[in-house]
Amino acid sequence: MITVYCWLLCLYPGSYRGEFGEEMTSVFRDARSALSPALAAKISFYRREFCGLLSGALCAHFDRLFGSAIPFRRFNMQSQFRFPLFTVLLMLVIFAGLVLTIAEASSVAGDTLGLAWRSLVSILVFMLLIMCSTAAVVCGILYRLRRSGVHRLENVNS
Amino acid sequence: METFALSEPVLLVLLSLAEQPRHGYSILKDVESMSGGRGLLSTGTLYGALQRLLDQGWIERVEEDNPARDRRTYRLTSRGRRNLQMEIERMRHLTKVAALRIARKEA
Repeated sequence: MITVYCWLLCLYPGSYRGEFGEEMTSVFRDARSALSPALAAKISFYRREFCGLLSGALCAHFDRLFGSAIPFRRFNMQSQFRFPLFTVLLMLVIFAGLVLTIAEASSVAGDTLGLAWRSLVSILVFMLLIMCSTAAVVCGILYRLRRSGVHRLENVNS
Repeated sequence: METFALSEPVLLVLLSLAEQPRHGYSILKDVESMSGGRGLLSTGTLYGALQRLLDQGWIERVEEDNPARDRRTYRLTSRGRRNLQMEIERMRHLTKVAALRIARKEA
């Protein structure tokens, strides 16, 4: 598992890895050795660690790329954050339009269009599934970032 | 001077360092015991918080004679301590208001 952890550390920017990599691995090793033998505790520990690593890596890359130039760095999900619902609506409208057009065309023509219709629908359904799962992963990462609350630090003026 | 609420994990990290300088694993264990097992931090979250706190100048690394790269110690700076005190003050005010309101409701 240490190997997997080290491999996942490669997701972080090189400079971050150089600064904290060894330390993080050492802390992970210590925490793992102190882990209770219960299966539930192990699952919870690994889930927490790997989710934390993924969200941390995303955060570090975002920070490295944009620095302080962007005010909402580290995915500031406070009250001003809004998920672009209009984008989802637009995608659904386009999808519905496409399906209706194909259905109409297949009712006019014969079997050739029927086959094309079926394959196109399966491709579209597949793409929709991919989009939904990607959205779920992104939302999960954003939720973890929000829970860490690190983004609030920059709002403190002292 | 304007303050914003810190999240529980960051607050616990700062409280852990307020008592004494600590290294990463010690912070994890201290946060766990302080929160009664509710505040379980992952290493990714912990080091994300530590990096941000270092950048903001709230904490600093302790200079050691033989520094081990896998076990470095962190401590609060005066700025971090001041901000932590402000946060605690804010919480104290909030709990006072909460207690008053609850008492008023019960009366």
